[in-house]
Formats: sequence, structure tokens, C-alpha cells
Amino acid sequence: MKKISIIFSVGVAAMMGMSSCKKDITEINKTNPNQFSDSDPTLMITGAELANVVVNEGEAARLAGIFAGHFNGYDRQFISYAQYSMTSGDFNSPWSNVYTEGIAQCRLIEAKAAKANNKSLLGVAMINEAQLLLAASGLWGDIPDKEACNDAISNPKFDKMSDVTKHCIAILDSAANLTSGTDYSTVFAGSFDWTEVANTLKARAYLRLGDYAGALAAAKNGVSAGADMYANHSTESPGAWNLYYDFLDWNRGGYISCDGAPIVGMLDTASKSSKNNPKTDETARFDYYFLADNYTPLDPNMNTGIFAPTSNFAMVSYVENELIMAECYLRGGDNANALFHLNNVRKEHDANYGGYKAYVLSDFGPTAMVKGASETLALGREILVEKYVSLFGQLEPFCDLRRTKNAIGITPYKGTQLPGCFMVPQDEINANPNAPRGGSLFDVLELFK
Amino acid sequence: MGICGFPIAKAQTSSSAGQQDNDTLNVGMVTVTALGTTTNVRKIGYSVSQVQGKNLVSSGESGIIQALTGKASNVQITKNSGDPGSGAYIQIRGQNTISGSTQPLIVVDGIPVSNSSFGGGTDGVVQQSRLNDINPSDIESMIVLKDAAAAAVWGTRGANGVIVITTKKGKRGMKVEFSSTLGIDQVNREYEKQGKFGQGSNGKWVANTGGSFGDRIASRSGSDSFIMSGQRFEAENGNIYLPIRKKGDQTVYNDINRDQVFRNGTTWNNNLSISNATDKSSVFFSVADWNQTGVINGNSNYRRTSARLNFTQNMSDKLTIGFNSTLAKVTSNRIQMGSNLDGLYLGYLRTSPDFNNTDYKGTYYSAAGVPTFNAHRGYRRYLGNAVPTYNNPGWTINEQKNTSDVMRVMITPEVGYQWKKNSKFIARAGYDMSTDRRITYFPVNSAGSYANGAFTDQMIQESEMSMHFINQSNFELNKNINLNTTVGYLYTNSSLYSIGGSASQFIIRDQDRFSFINSTSANMDPFNSYSQIKNNRAYAVLDFDVQDKLFLQLTTSSEASSTYKNRFLSPSATLAYEFTKDFLKSDKLSYGKLRASAGRVGISPPAYIWNTNYVSASSGGGWGDYLDASQFGGSIYRSSTQGNPDIKPEMKTEMEIGGDFRFLKDKVSLGLSYYSNVIDGAILAVTVAPSTGYANQWKNAANISNRGFEADLSVNLIKNKDVTLNLYGNIGMNRNMVNDIGGANSIFLAGFTGTSSRAVKGYAMGSMWGGKWLRDESEKLVLDANGFPQAAPQEGVIGNPNPTYRGSVGLNGNVKRVGFNLLVETCQGNQMWGGTSAVLNNFGITPETANEFTVSAAEAATIKDYTGATIAARAATAGNGSVVTNTDGTYTCRGNLEDYGNGKVWLNQSWYTGLGGGFGSVSESFIKDASWVRIRELSATYALPDGLCKSLGVPGGISIGVTGRNLALWTKFQGVDPETNLTGVSNGRGLDYFNNPGTKSYLFNIKFNL
Repeated sequence: MKKISIIFSVGVAAMMGMSSCKKDITEINKTNPNQFSDSDPTLMITGAELANVVVNEGEAARLAGIFAGHFNGYDRQFISYAQYSMTSGDFNSPWSNVYTEGIAQCRLIEAKAAKANNKSLLGVAMINEAQLLLAASGLWGDIPDKEACNDAISNPKFDKMSDVTKHCIAILDSAANLTSGTDYSTVFAGSFDWTEVANTLKARAYLRLGDYAGALAAAKNGVSAGADMYANHSTESPGAWNLYYDFLDWNRGGYISCDGAPIVGMLDTASKSSKNNPKTDETARFDYYFLADNYTPLDPNMNTGIFAPTSNFAMVSYVENELIMAECYLRGGDNANALFHLNNVRKEHDANYGGYKAYVLSDFGPTAMVKGASETLALGREILVEKYVSLFGQLEPFCDLRRTKNAIGITPYKGTQLPGCFMVPQDEINANPNAPRGGSLFDVLELFK
Repeated sequence: MGICGFPIAKAQTSSSAGQQDNDTLNVGMVTVTALGTTTNVRKIGYSVSQVQGKNLVSSGESGIIQALTGKASNVQITKNSGDPGSGAYIQIRGQNTISGSTQPLIVVDGIPVSNSSFGGGTDGVVQQSRLNDINPSDIESMIVLKDAAAAAVWGTRGANGVIVITTKKGKRGMKVEFSSTLGIDQVNREYEKQGKFGQGSNGKWVANTGGSFGDRIASRSGSDSFIMSGQRFEAENGNIYLPIRKKGDQTVYNDINRDQVFRNGTTWNNNLSISNATDKSSVFFSVADWNQTGVINGNSNYRRTSARLNFTQNMSDKLTIGFNSTLAKVTSNRIQMGSNLDGLYLGYLRTSPDFNNTDYKGTYYSAAGVPTFNAHRGYRRYLGNAVPTYNNPGWTINEQKNTSDVMRVMITPEVGYQWKKNSKFIARAGYDMSTDRRITYFPVNSAGSYANGAFTDQMIQESEMSMHFINQSNFELNKNINLNTTVGYLYTNSSLYSIGGSASQFIIRDQDRFSFINSTSANMDPFNSYSQIKNNRAYAVLDFDVQDKLFLQLTTSSEASSTYKNRFLSPSATLAYEFTKDFLKSDKLSYGKLRASAGRVGISPPAYIWNTNYVSASSGGGWGDYLDASQFGGSIYRSSTQGNPDIKPEMKTEMEIGGDFRFLKDKVSLGLSYYSNVIDGAILAVTVAPSTGYANQWKNAANISNRGFEADLSVNLIKNKDVTLNLYGNIGMNRNMVNDIGGANSIFLAGFTGTSSRAVKGYAMGSMWGGKWLRDESEKLVLDANGFPQAAPQEGVIGNPNPTYRGSVGLNGNVKRVGFNLLVETCQGNQMWGGTSAVLNNFGITPETANEFTVSAAEAATIKDYTGATIAARAATAGNGSVVTNTDGTYTCRGNLEDYGNGKVWLNQSWYTGLGGGFGSVSESFIKDASWVRIRELSATYALPDGLCKSLGVPGGISIGVTGRNLALWTKFQGVDPETNLTGVSNGRGLDYFNNPGTKSYLFNIKFNL
């Protein structure tokens, strides 16, 4: 037995000796040699801005575009999508773009920028955050906001759509005081001004709340002529170029078409629903938007048009701002001013495409060139149709359709009802007990009731 | 066993009741423990499956693991595909982990070696496993340790089981052996394609479209008419293709297109070994060359050239020095597969039956006569005037390259010193290193994102260095009790380094050089990654032997690793009692042993998950479109995965009870085992609500359990001088359950957005997940207005890839000079997602979609298709491939009539391209039974008469052999051998999506013993 105890004491001593080697061993995995442990907020902002672009131009925009009648599903899963046959899992990726790549990073940047007293960075992060929140609540309605992206809270509560929208206004109000010019904007193109962008976004928010006076007041300081904010796609390379192009040609040719999409008829001279008239020639815009007989009988124009590889994508535009003003003036009974702003948009289009002459009020009415039950209704419809067409591929038309109870009468691809929202994603349902369950694609959101 | 021999003193093999030759039971044989030391099977308290090297060789597989299939109970081996050299997924007693490796530890001659398969996903190429680098002819024996107690000394590397491989040593007497094997491989299962309807849509021919819902091929005029505009495609062989005005060709090209893609694969395997031993030394030397071309035409091949030298020398009575070493050079070229526009099956299977793929490359001339050289012609661009949406399979297999060039070195020097009569000390070092240079090349005009050419050049360097010290002593405590003690210390340091770059948008477009100067800087993308894991482990093993009938083993190991903070302890105890020494021994029961064991092992956390990292910003969706911050001046932001500094190893606790019995004077041997284990604290990146700002967080969150039963049987039916006949078999059952996954419902393991393999609470690991049909409370389908089922809004579990049982039965024997072996294997109750068939529905390729039926005019007026159009209404606009109005007023339609509960409906193009096909949101209907029975191996050998051999100058003998592998397969699963897995050795299983096919083989062997 003595021998055994000797051998075992050697063994035990050896083990203890090994324990002392532990430090050498644990050190090597403390930091990941392939990634970093922290980052400066000025280096983070580009990533957050890209998420903002992806939300406005990527999968969310494609789906919203199908629901709004801008696009039609032509192949694979998109055939089902255009039949409004979707599951909650289909909405996972835009949702995580919004939160993990967007809002979470914005809020981190804001905290770090505040500490560093970098006011313009703080402002830019806040404007991006507000745009993301507005986009998300416009699609999903009630979404986590106050408790979102906080390391201490693992099951964020969903805030009401109206509260989120009001919160966006508050964020934009304080952001507008912090920043001006175009700092931190490698992601964006155009000689835009952050304060103007903030104001147009604010106008979007007020519009949703039905506060037309508020929207008008904000839009008055919104994006001015020639100061549109675009996503910058000047580099012709994957990861940099137009996201629609990436999808429509590079990755998923033929999945999405404009064949049979309601927007086509509005621009097509031969169609009953055409908005062409003696003062309006949509031929050039039609060709800029659509491309015949490529992957499908009528593709979104990813070749030389709106979704070409290096076509910049409008994030917040003068046209949108003017059309918000037009709608608000009209709703306030000021048809003359409404027309003035509609004509501003037509002037812009005339410069870009050619074919638009200024309207006068007498062009609108039951027997006038642009028909409607009254001058106001005819003009109102023209404003909404113009916005629906002008913002081709953007998220706002889907919001406008639901906000106006489909006032311009877009025919659904299936059934009688357009989708009412994006479904709460499966990823969120799986992990957050506070996520609402049992929703459907046709639920009507709080502010669109 | 180790090189310098183990054990010593009293622990020599004692002859026990009867020696058995069969492979899996070997009661009474010497076996090898997890440390690479030998022990007697009689004395161990856990189940062991042992396979002799010769049986690995006769299976005709290039990899040793693939050769193990069917030979050990509850050891599941799934080859990734039939590509030559393809890796395999190994699962022993069910799946133990969610995010860790599911693969067992491989110990060769006492040293852990790499079994990695780097890469592998839903697309790309099937990668090799580094385990394939070992030449099966060099293997003496292979032992599978399934139980936690058996693996306890390996701590956090032992939870998935340990496969202990012993290579050959020189034996007394000069032996020179040369063997040569010719193998022929064939595809063992193919998809059937319809040949009735042409390319097109709505019953009409449409050029370049994806689907084959076109016109009736047989109703065509007979020849195409062309547009003479000057526009044309000139193939390399001079064939000219003109724009088609009207399709008239009635030829169905399915067979021609098939023959473009497949061939008989050939394998030429030559093996030379020389060995000898004296009192003082032993030498084993071998060189081998395995040269294989795959069953897919073109660039599919695998060649392994290896050499081995195993050497020991007794320097004195007490000191022994030796080393084992092997070198392997492995080169291969592989074929793109899976969910991949440039993959083989995707382009091949989707090709319309009326399109001839033969001429895939040439020059396109526009109407103005402007040429485009190296133009790519496929069924989605029949003139080659633009890049086809999918590759022509000819392009995939001949123009694209996916090479791998591996150099592997394994050296194991060892010193043994008997420092006391009853004690021996061994120091063993191990060095295992491989480099793998991989090139992935897509020439200009490849489909998808590679239209302007792209290549990736990557170097992967993997190494594992280990130091192992063992002291073993033997003590006779008293007359009745003998004690063996083993104390050891093992240090390992493994690293994985990968560096490479991708380049796209070639400047010089027609030369296949892999030089980065061929791209502008904007189109170059360098990458690298490095990871290192260090580990040290001290252990002690006490083996008590009471009166040579009761055996108790106590083991404990203490381990520190760079991947977690506190030491991990693995205790275990095993007990074996040979009760027939005390009672019950009779002619009927000649031997009986009961055993019980319990132990704890772990699974190490992945490296570098302690912290939340900051990563290069990139944002995108599930369709491949993305924005990358590096294109916008760069941005590093917070990762969506939250780190966890408190991560611990996953802890697997297992108990096993069983017994080994021999009956009828040892004629019948039976081994039985029951086990039950729990894996607690399984690590996973728990899906957290994205609204928290993270997608997931690393946690010890999951709890998984397995329980199962296994039996191994061997019956010596005949045993005399001239004839032996042995019946053997095994059966294994495992029940896996995911008890908890950190509060989440399900965790994605592998697959697609639509259909995936997941860990789902309350279901077996790897369960298939996807869209389901909408059902009411009584589980009845909720139908839409037209009588068609609809998609449920939420996804759920739709299938289980785990078998209810697996088993095999074989017959082995010889009649004089003829030896033979038959092995039949089965796997029952496992399901698989038939993603390929599902998607071929969408394209109108499956025979199911090409069915025809006739209805009366009255029925035609009421029966609707998925869009709501009646047959009669369709007939007014659709082409003859959709519906034809017969002269008697009836209608003949393409598709199927189905009644989901609200009257008959017409399943046609609109249904198959919607919910009735693989791109619809419901995948429930494509989960299929993937049970199979197969003749795994049928082989025969014949040893030439001694006299003849002598006269031929081969005194040691000549034998010839023939083996058939996978000769027959019975399965309900269609199109592909269900023994496949799209995502390789990933933790997800049960997915078939344009995987490259499996094979069957015929091998002819001749062996000379000089």
C-alpha cells in the first residue's frame, strides 16, 4: 500500500502542477483574434445607416411593394407571397435588420456620442433611429421601442403604434437641433441636409397620426428642391450596388415582376387606369420604371432604369415632402396651395423625364380632364396617385394605401382585401413572451383603422 | 495500442473461455482502451464494438469511417454524398449537442487526430473529411467506445464517443504484401423525369423559361422552324443553333442529358506493405495509391497517395523507443452541388425534357454579327446570348473547378521505460498537421453571381500537437485482489488557420489563372481567420481485479481548457462481474458477464464565445442581396451574438447496464446494453428576441437526453477444418429528446429559411421544421374558396430524421479456399425532406406533374384549379399541354384530380408552382419516409492453391476477391439514396436538396503475399 500512496501522491502533485498551467491556457481564448472588442461610435454609424437603407430598400420594401401593387411575384416563393400566402417566418430578416443592425447600433452610438460630446454624430444616429422606428411601426404597428435594445431587458414590451410614432417625433425634434449639413454620410448620396430630412420624417409621422397641421408645419421645413437624400450606390459591385438590382438580376432574376402589377396601368397609355392625359405623358417614366421581356414579360427596370446597379435609391425626397404638403393643404381646404405643391412635383418630373405640364384647378372635376366627384376629390386622388407612382419601390406607398383605406382603389391580387400589415416575425414570437400572437396578414393596424 | 506495448506484468491477456473471431463481440479478446492501452474484453464494464482492419478494406470505401457502417450497433455513418472522398457524418448513440461538434474523437495510436470537415453548407461542394487521409489498409483494428465511462479520460472530448484506431505493427517473419483493386462506381438512385411536356408555361412552349409546363411534345410538327436573322450560337464542335420561331422537334433528350452527366466511376487502388519483427524490433512499412474518378463526368476525382512507417526498437530490457508516422498527399476536384445556380443537379434536373444540353459552350453571334466568345448555352438561354439562369450541367462539370490539395503528416514518437518490475512509464508525443489549398473557380459566363468570373483561393492549415505521459503500475494487493493503476497527463494544442481571398469580375476573361491581378481592387476580397485551443488533462485510473471475476474500474480526470474557466472533472466507475465463474455455468451458458457503468464527460465550448465582439458591418436579407460596410469606407459595429464569460462545458452523464453471454459451448454470443444519458448545459446561441438588439446569446441553456438499447449477436453455425459459417448482426435503437433549449421554441441547425433541421423543445434533435397546412381544431384541413388547402400562418415540426432503429445482419464464412461475406443493413423510421422532388414539382419535371386525366364536359365546367379557373375556362386560353378539348366534348388535362374534402380540384401548374411545389410555403407534404434496407456488402475471396502460388513464385499466396457495395437498395424515398445529407457534418440532418447522388460499387482485388 505504501507504493500505491507514493504513486498517487506523485499523481496528485502532477495534477496540481497542471492546474498552475491553467492561466497560460485560459489567456489564449480571452480575446478573439478575428474580431474586435469595441469600436468607436464614428466607426459604427455607417453600419447602422446601412441597416436603415436595407430596411427601406431591401426585403421589407420588396414585400411592401408586392402588397401595395408595385410588384408582382413571378417565381418561387414570391408567387405565394403575391397570393398573400405568408408565414410569420417570412418576416424575420427585415425585423432583425431593424433591431440588431439598426436600432441597437443607433442607441449604442447615441450613448457613446453623448459621452464624447459629439453632437452631430448623436443627431445623425437619432435621425436614423427614428426613420427605422417609423418604418417598422408603419409595417408592423405595435413594436418594441421603449424597452428595445436594452441589455437589461430580455423580453421587451410592445409599444402602441401611436406611442412609437409620437416618440419618433420627439426624437426628430431633438435631433434636428443637433445636426446640419451632411456629416457621417458615406452611405448616402445627394446634397441633403439632416435637419430637412428630420423634418420630412416628422411630417411622415404626423401624417400617420392624422395630424395634418403638424405634418404641414414639419414639411414646410422639410427636404427642399435638389436636396434629396439617397442611398449611395455609385460603386458597381456586390455589397455596394442597388439592392433591388442585386435581387432582381444578380441573385434572383425573375422572382419579382411588374407583370400584372396595378402601378403599370397607371403609367401605361393604353390602360383604363392610366394617369396619362393631355398635360401628362408618362412614356419616359414608364420606360425608366419598367423593362419588357427580360426575365419576365415586364421586369422592374434593373437594366438602365430606376433599379440599375448604380441607381441611387431615394430615402427621403423633395417629391415626397411636396406631396405631403399637397395632401395636407387639400385636407385643410386649401386646394390652390395643394395644386401648387403637386405642380412642384410635376415640374421636378418634367425636368427628369419630360412630359408634364402644370395643372390648373379647372383640370379637376366631374367633367374635367382629371375626373372625380368634385374638384377636391379629383385633385386629392391625383395627389395620392402621384405619390403612389413617384415613390415606386419605397415603403411609404404601402402605408399611404392603408392610411387612406385604399382611396386610390388598388385591386388586390387575391381576394378583396390588401394585406394590412407585416406579421410579427417567428423569431420574435419564439423568444419573447410579450410578442403578440395569433396575428394575421390582414390585421388592421391601430393608426390605419 | 500504443507503440511501446501495454500493459505489462500481470495484465497480460489471459486466456478466457473461448476465443471468438467475430468482429463485434470479441468476448475474451484483447481490446484497446480509450488511452490506446490494451486490456482484456472480459474485464471491462462497458460495451465495445471492434472491427478488424481487413473488414474495413473489404468494404471498398476510401475512408475508414465509411467502412465502419453497419458493423457496430448504434453507430450511424451517413456519407455526405457519393462524391469520391466525401466526408461522412458519424453519430454514436444519438445526438448530444446543438452547437458543438457532433463528431466523435478519433484516437490513432494513442494520439487524438483531426476528423474535421472544413466547410459544407447548403451549397458549394461536398468536402472531404480529414479522417479519409488514413489508408484503411494500414489499420489493424478499430474500436468504438460509445459510453461515457469508457471515454472519461478524454473529458470534454469524449462525449460523442471515441473511435480508437490502432495501426499495424511488424510481426515476426518477413512479409511483403501487394494488393491491387479495381473499383467501378455507379449512381445507385436517380430521379425520374417526365418526357411528355416541353419547356414552357400554361401548356404552351416558351423558350428560356424555367418550367416544363409547356406543350405536348408528341403533338408537335416534327421539326423546329427558325428565324434567319443572323443571330446564332455556334457550338465548339460547329453545331449551329438558330432562334426558334416555332418549336416542332419531338425528341425527348432526358437520356442524352443524363449521359452527359454520369459515367462509371473507376478506382484504382494499389497497396504495398513490408513488415517484419525480431526480438528487438518491429517494422511496418506501406505505400499506397488510391486513384478514383467519380460517377459524375468531368472534374470529379480523388487521389490519395500515402506512406506509413511504424517502428519500434527495444534499446534494452527496459527501454523501448518507437514511432508511428504517416504521410498523405490528397488531391481532388469536386462538383458544385446543392442550392446553387452553378450546381450540377439544380441545372441538370430542372432542364426541360425537350432541351438538349450537349452543346453548352461556343460563340454567340448577334444579328449584327458581333461575336461573344465562350458563350454559355443552357435551357434558360438556348442561344447563349446571355448567361443562363442556371448552369448547363456540362458547364458545371467541365468548366468549373473546385480543387483541393492536401498534405497530411502524422508523427507519433514514443518512449517506454520499465522503471520498476511492476511499473512502466510512457512518454508519447503526437503531431498531426495538414494543409489544404482549395480553389473554387467559376469561369466568365457562369450562372448567377459569377457571370463575370470569380475564384477563391484558400489555404487551410490545421494542426494538433499533443504530449502524453502515462505511468502504469501493477500491484498484487493480496491473494485475491490485483490492482492496476494508471496516472496520466495529456496536453494538447490545436489550431486552425485559414487565409485566402476571392476575386471576381475578371479582367482577362478567357484564361483560367487564379491570380488576384485579374481583378480590380474593388472586386477582391481577402479573408483570414485563426483559432487556437489549448487543453491539459490529468487523470487516474484504478483497475481492481478480484479473483479474476469481478472487475472494478474507477477513473477520474481533471481538465483545463482555453475555452472555459474552471477545471472540468470527469469521474466514472465501471463494474464487470463474470458470474459464470460462481454459478449458472453449464453447456448451455458457457460464459456470462454482467456489467454496469456510470460516468460523466463533456463537450467543450467553442472558442472565443466569452465576449460580445465587434464585427465588420454588413446587412442583408435571406435572398443574397446585401450591403457591406467595407464598400462604404468600413464600419465595425456590435455583433448580433452576445458573448458569455461564464460558459461551461456541456456535461453528459451516462449510465449503462448490460451483459455479455455465450451459449451452447460458445457457439452463440450475445451482447446486450441499455443506456441512458442526459446532456445538461448544452451550449447554444440561444435565439433571443431580436428586439433586444441581439439575435442570440451563448448560453449553457439546453438539456438533451438519449436512451437506447443495443444488441450484438454472433452465431457460429458451422466450424470445422474446411467450412466455417458465422451469422452476425446487431440492432441499435436510440430515443433522443430535446428537453429544454433555453426557453426558446426552436433553434435552427441547418437548412433553409423555408425548411430546416432544428432543435425543438419536446422533439428529437434535428427535427424538420417548416410550413404546415392550415388545420382546424379537429386537425381537418381548412380549405380555401376553391377547395384547396392553405398554409398555416405559423411554422412547426413536420418530421423526424432520427430512425426508430438501425440494424444489420450478415453471414461470414469460408468453404475451403473461398471466403465470403454478406452484410445487409437497414435503417427504419427516419424521415427526410424531399426538397429536390418538391422543387421539381414546381418546374413540372416530376412524373407526378405530368399525369393526364380526362373529364366530361359537365365536370370541366365545375372543377377548378388553384387560381379558381375551371377546366373549361382554362381550355379557352391554355395551350395543348395544359388541357385539350377532345372531339367527343371531354377534356384531357395535364395534372391530377384531388379531393381535399370539398370536391374535386385540378392540380395543375398553378398549384405546383404554388403550395403544391417546393417553393410554396408548405413543406409538410414533402417530408417522406426515408427508411431503407440495403445490401451493404457482398464479397468473396478465393485463395489460389499453394502449389500454384509457389510455381508462380509467390510462396506466401495469391488471393483474388470481388466485392459489391450497395448492390441493392430498397427505399420508398424517391430520386436519391436517402443515405445523404445536404449539410455534411453540420448538426442538422434530413435534408435533400439537389445533393449529388450516392453510388454503388463493384471491386475486383488481387493480393500477393511475397
